[in-house]
Amino acid sequence: MSKRIRFPKQAIPYMLLAPVFLYYVIFWLYPVISGVKEVFTGMDGSFSLTQNFKLIFHSDLFSKSVWDTASFAFFSVVLEYLIALLLAILLTIPFVGSKALMFIAMIPMSLTPTATAILWKTGLLKDGWLNTILLFIHLTKEPITFMNVEGLDAVRMLIFIDAWTVTPSVMIILIAGLQGLQNDQKEAAYLFGASKWQIFHDIILPALKPSITTSIIIRMIAAIQVWAISVMVLGYSTAPFLVERVAFYIEAIPGVETSKKLAYTYSFLTSVIVFLATVFYLRITKKEEEQSI
Amino acid sequence: MNKLSILEKTMISLILSTIILVVLIPLLFFLSTAFSNATEMTVFPKSLFAKRNVTVKVVPQDDGKYEILYDYGKGEGYTSIITTSSGEKLEKHFQRQYGLMINGDKLLSIFSITRDEGPKEFTFKKDLFYNFKEFFKVVPNAKSALKNSIIVAALTILISLTLGSMAGYAIARYRFTGRKGINITLLIVRMFPTVGLSVPMAVILIKMGLFDTMIGLALLYSIPNIALTSWITSSIFVGINKNLEEASLIFGANRLQTFWHITLPLAFPAMAASSMYSFLTAWNDTISALILTNKNQTLSLVVYKAIGSSSSGIQYAAAGSIVLIIPALVFTMIIRKYIGQMWGGVKL
Repeated sequence: MSKRIRFPKQAIPYMLLAPVFLYYVIFWLYPVISGVKEVFTGMDGSFSLTQNFKLIFHSDLFSKSVWDTASFAFFSVVLEYLIALLLAILLTIPFVGSKALMFIAMIPMSLTPTATAILWKTGLLKDGWLNTILLFIHLTKEPITFMNVEGLDAVRMLIFIDAWTVTPSVMIILIAGLQGLQNDQKEAAYLFGASKWQIFHDIILPALKPSITTSIIIRMIAAIQVWAISVMVLGYSTAPFLVERVAFYIEAIPGVETSKKLAYTYSFLTSVIVFLATVFYLRITKKEEEQSI
Repeated sequence: MNKLSILEKTMISLILSTIILVVLIPLLFFLSTAFSNATEMTVFPKSLFAKRNVTVKVVPQDDGKYEILYDYGKGEGYTSIITTSSGEKLEKHFQRQYGLMINGDKLLSIFSITRDEGPKEFTFKKDLFYNFKEFFKVVPNAKSALKNSIIVAALTILISLTLGSMAGYAIARYRFTGRKGINITLLIVRMFPTVGLSVPMAVILIKMGLFDTMIGLALLYSIPNIALTSWITSSIFVGINKNLEEASLIFGANRLQTFWHITLPLAFPAMAASSMYSFLTAWNDTISALILTNKNQTLSLVVYKAIGSSSSGIQYAAAGSIVLIIPALVFTMIIRKYIGQMWGGVKL
């Protein structure tokens, strides 16, 4: 009879966690470190603090991609949350068909991003469905050529597409957050003569704050990584973004040593920005936990 | 105060219908694109629903040819499209322009009736799934890409669920040093952009001989999902009544049996939900697949590549996207409760 091996009880959690730990050392930490190493290694293989950053600063469309990513992340999130908040406040009163609305509103964000891109591409063609709608509601007399947009207009168009994708879901999240709000609080405020603005500012907004901050940061992190929609609708380099540049250097000019370095440096930059956003997120949620205790 | 005035009611219904229209109309047009034939694609303004039938007018010519006319619906009436006596040409034209797969000789024999009765309209029922068939036929390796996507999703689920639920159980059930640090690490790993990992990962996978394989891709997709699975399952393991487990232990079951027969079934919903998340990561991703594969592409990547810079044949890409959308849509709807929790700590 074999003797049963008994582990000390304190060892069990570590044993359960060991595979995950090992996995993350090999497939997360190791790539992260080797990625960082690549970024700080020059073309000749020697250590260099700045060589690859100089390369990226002087590469085509670098500042534009940084600027576009920043403005896309900022303006799309602001636009989406303003509209969603407005709609959520207007719709907090229980109404018939709220379940059906929830289902429909969640559809755009459930679509695979590449599918969303094709959906909008069929719309933005000159003989596409968007011009059909615009002509139908008399917003334009002649079909508009959307596909030729450049510069800021291109980013604006992508923000618009992103708003279609994301706003309905944000609205649902905010409605759910508002339903947790006690009606008595609002009524009490009414009785004490609070104005609508005061109720919004002092009661509704604080109640929504936790769900808004968390979801805004998660949304921003996703927005920073935008790329497929830009490439699929407009092609490479029309509306450059950080991750779009990574894809560009890998797909459009592969096999060249400089483009490899550029891809590394761009993905490093993206990771650093997202990492900072995550740390920021952690600090905020921690503060909220402390406040709620 | 609870009664709504007529004004409020009208306002709410107006807002509601606007939201629904803004969401649904693009979707309907898109659906219509996926079911449109090449001729419908050239028509402007677009119609909200794709046609179910194709009607052509056939005029017999003296030299044994047939003239085929089509009405684009622009109010110009029938326009002449093609004049031929060749069955082969007819077959090709009907397939390419209308998405109709009818044998050329059969078409000729159908049209021969016009020799006696004069010009006539013919209506054919459209093959609704023509674009879908064509997508898998025209786009190189679309079929194997669909298979690949399913394989990589299954592998991602397998890896994430095994490792993630073990970690989740440990975090939920044991108090140990470093527990807080683990939670933070898991969150950082979860949020870390996969694109940042994919580029160096390519080198590692090449070394391991796993580049351009579904296992290699699944190894990457599992990184955020192991963390996510442990987060979701730990919250469930905390909620499972410990007394049940203790009772089972008292009745002589060992820890593994207890886990297998008591804890696991209770945690099943959470595990199913995290599996769907893993599925969605693998199914929806394009950037990592672009970086880490070469010939063995996934469906999402194939759809991405199918569109290219031109817009001809976009209806096939649209049909491919529908294939891509359906599982993603179904799974997202099932796990929307968790999405709400993750996003804003709200119950949906």
